[in-house]
Amino acid sequence: MRKIVAFHSYKGGTGKTLFSINLATTYANRGKKVCLFDLDFRAPSLHAAFKTDGTEYWLNDYLNGICEVEKVLVDLSQSRAREGEFLVGLANPSTEAIREMSAKDRKWEMKALGRLLSLKTALLNDMEFDYVILDTSPGLQYSSINAIVSADVALVVTGTDASDREGTKRMVHELYDLFEKKAGVLVNKMLVEMVASEGAKRKMRKQLETIYGLPIVEMIPCFCDILRAGGTYIFTEEMPEHPFTKIVGRIATKIDRF
Amino acid sequence: MVSAYRSLGRNPTQILQKIKESLDRLNEKIDVMIEIQKHGQKESEAVPDVLDVMTLLSLPDHLRKTAVTISRLDQATAEEVAEQTRRARAVESGYLNQLVIMGYLKKERRGRKAYFFIEK
Repeated sequence: MRKIVAFHSYKGGTGKTLFSINLATTYANRGKKVCLFDLDFRAPSLHAAFKTDGTEYWLNDYLNGICEVEKVLVDLSQSRAREGEFLVGLANPSTEAIREMSAKDRKWEMKALGRLLSLKTALLNDMEFDYVILDTSPGLQYSSINAIVSADVALVVTGTDASDREGTKRMVHELYDLFEKKAGVLVNKMLVEMVASEGAKRKMRKQLETIYGLPIVEMIPCFCDILRAGGTYIFTEEMPEHPFTKIVGRIATKIDRF
Repeated sequence: MVSAYRSLGRNPTQILQKIKESLDRLNEKIDVMIEIQKHGQKESEAVPDVLDVMTLLSLPDHLRKTAVTISRLDQATAEEVAEQTRRARAVESGYLNQLVIMGYLKKERRGRKAYFFIEK
């Protein structure tokens, strides 16, 4: 079943973009038609990850009502998908665009929500995408809440430090519950000893599910290889046998069951 | 009896349909009157407000569901909203009229149908 999946977090740097990119390429390599959107207008990053800054229209233009969504899509199928189709919609990284997006008023945000909600029909029904993945900005900001309301599934990425845990817990109850969203948690950068044995994992999962009141989709150990890669290549493409690639594969399969 | 209606050029199904439509319109008017009584203000006095996500978060649960559905559909009748929320049409009609009174939605009658929408 076709889906819009949003990655969100309470704090920055938890791994939203890492998971968004790797999940999108995983689906594309499974023969699916995938679209990945950068909705972090305050700190755009996908243009750098895909080295595709030469686009005529940005997602900013779509939300401003300047163009239709087709104009924004950049087709990276040739370089990024062995089987399926892979397209991206980028956020404008220029300082001027970031400043402009930060100064939008409530009425504009309301219209932006309408345009995001209409993506479901345009992309899933008319253009027949199998998955639309939204990489959002952290915390309770207009752009991220708009994205969550528009998504079918929201995945919240969290770390293990106390402030992130506390904030994520509150956000889940005060935001996801209110919009009755299908949601799950990815606990990232866990200490290896926390997930060393099946018994430890089971205990930890139960504990975390009680805290968040949501299913724990995966508990991901901290991988030094990811730090070493420094975002210069896509794990699921370059390292198909790496444990991280296997984890993303499991996440992709679990999202289908949501 | 049936032949008497037929002599008027209408069959009983059409007449029943007419009665149902009239009752629906009456129901809507009663819903609005109830809401006006509750809020002590006239519909026309509603101060336009913006239905953004922060406002959606502040709405009570039952109204939020209706408001999100209208945001998704752009414009809709109470019946179309009810199809999405799987609640009764009369219930949705009440909630939609409440959102009109609160200034978040506009209502426009086109023919026999009342459409609710967000003024952009």
